[in-house]
Amino acid sequence: MDSYWARRPNQIFAALTFVLVLVSLWLILAVAPMVPQQEWAQRIFYYHVPLAWNAFLGYMGVVIFGIMYLVHKNPKWDIWAVSFAEVGTVFAFLIVVTGPIWAKPIWGTAWTWEPRLTTTFILLLLYIGYFMIREFGGPYERSSRFAAVLGILAFLDVPLIYFAVDFWSPEVQSHPQRDLGGHNPLISQIFLFSLFTFTLILINLIRYRIHAGILQHKALEKDHV
Amino acid sequence: MNQLTLLIKKEIKQEFRSRETVISMSVFGVVVILLFAFAFNAAPAEFQKFLPGLIWMTYLFVAVLGLQRSFAAEKELDAYAALLSAPIDRGLVYLGKLTAFVLFMAVAQAVTLPLFGLFLNLSLSTGLGMHLVLCLLTDWAMGACGVLISGMGLRIRMGEVLIPILLFPLLVPVLIGATKASAALLSGAPFSQIQMWFMIIATFAVLFTVTGLFAFGAISEE
Repeated sequence: MDSYWARRPNQIFAALTFVLVLVSLWLILAVAPMVPQQEWAQRIFYYHVPLAWNAFLGYMGVVIFGIMYLVHKNPKWDIWAVSFAEVGTVFAFLIVVTGPIWAKPIWGTAWTWEPRLTTTFILLLLYIGYFMIREFGGPYERSSRFAAVLGILAFLDVPLIYFAVDFWSPEVQSHPQRDLGGHNPLISQIFLFSLFTFTLILINLIRYRIHAGILQHKALEKDHV
Repeated sequence: MNQLTLLIKKEIKQEFRSRETVISMSVFGVVVILLFAFAFNAAPAEFQKFLPGLIWMTYLFVAVLGLQRSFAAEKELDAYAALLSAPIDRGLVYLGKLTAFVLFMAVAQAVTLPLFGLFLNLSLSTGLGMHLVLCLLTDWAMGACGVLISGMGLRIRMGEVLIPILLFPLLVPVLIGATKASAALLSGAPFSQIQMWFMIIATFAVLFTVTGLFAFGAISEE
């Protein structure tokens, strides 16, 4: 087991994802109908919402594999958890970038202390802490355990942050509700296609990161022997 | 239960002999209040608007100071290994630290809360009893999360720095709840308008205490 790209299935999977991403981009830019009043700004939602979905899947993975690691103490699960954390954080960062691009023309301001925005932002801060613990936490097994516990704490905190911020400033404009797809069936079809391609990107990235993590782990073990 | 009382007694006895944690927490609180008085050189009427936020920011800083000290004795004399090798459930060690933290916070608040009245015109004539309940509940919530984080910080190279970095974002719901509840209590709002905030803090406290009981074993292994 050496290079990720040496394997035929990995190559095919990545190439397929790439083609589907191009198709999805074409659908979003050329086929998707305009939404009245929002015009071009609305199209970022074909990216923004799938990004959020991916970040959620990523952080979900951190909790599941973090608990698996705490229970079974198998380094494999820690590699899985950190892979989900890193990829999830990339997507969480992109949510915070794409959100204001949409909000500026629609809300008139790039940032409000709205529950979903705030929760995502705090989650991002917590995951910066997660990587700091991994970096400064000392011996590998200890820092992995600490990181797993922090991943669980962060995930438990999310609903509380959401509710607290929601009640804290009920007057702040809230996110658009789900009826956006109700206008035209084409919108929800293209949206679902985009969601699908983004999930494929996520799987690609996580598989690649897990592969790298296993190689790293083997190299470290060799050092110890 | 007997073991828990023993652990709590140990924390209190240790603190009673050195007095370093409670004194440093209280003095630090006083210093922060002094800085606030100079930084927000405003008329008392305007000041009322910011008071709840200032009170809880102060206690957040004081809490971090207390949490940084909460495992200090164990660290200095390597007594942690001895504590962990004792035939005691790790979860109880966590509960003991948590109880001690709530007690120390309460003492620091008893010293500093009147000073908010003296220096910053905080009027506690309305809702004093509820404020005390709020203080204890919030201390518990901060400790439930904080003891777990400082238990990790104890054994990390950059521990002292990482404790606030990890703790403050996690405590956002508690800070929001405590600030809002304080503001409502000061304005004399009925409890029905405030109970929402008490519930958010209490949910946080219970959720993180249960997590702490289970997870403390995992973070205290060698």
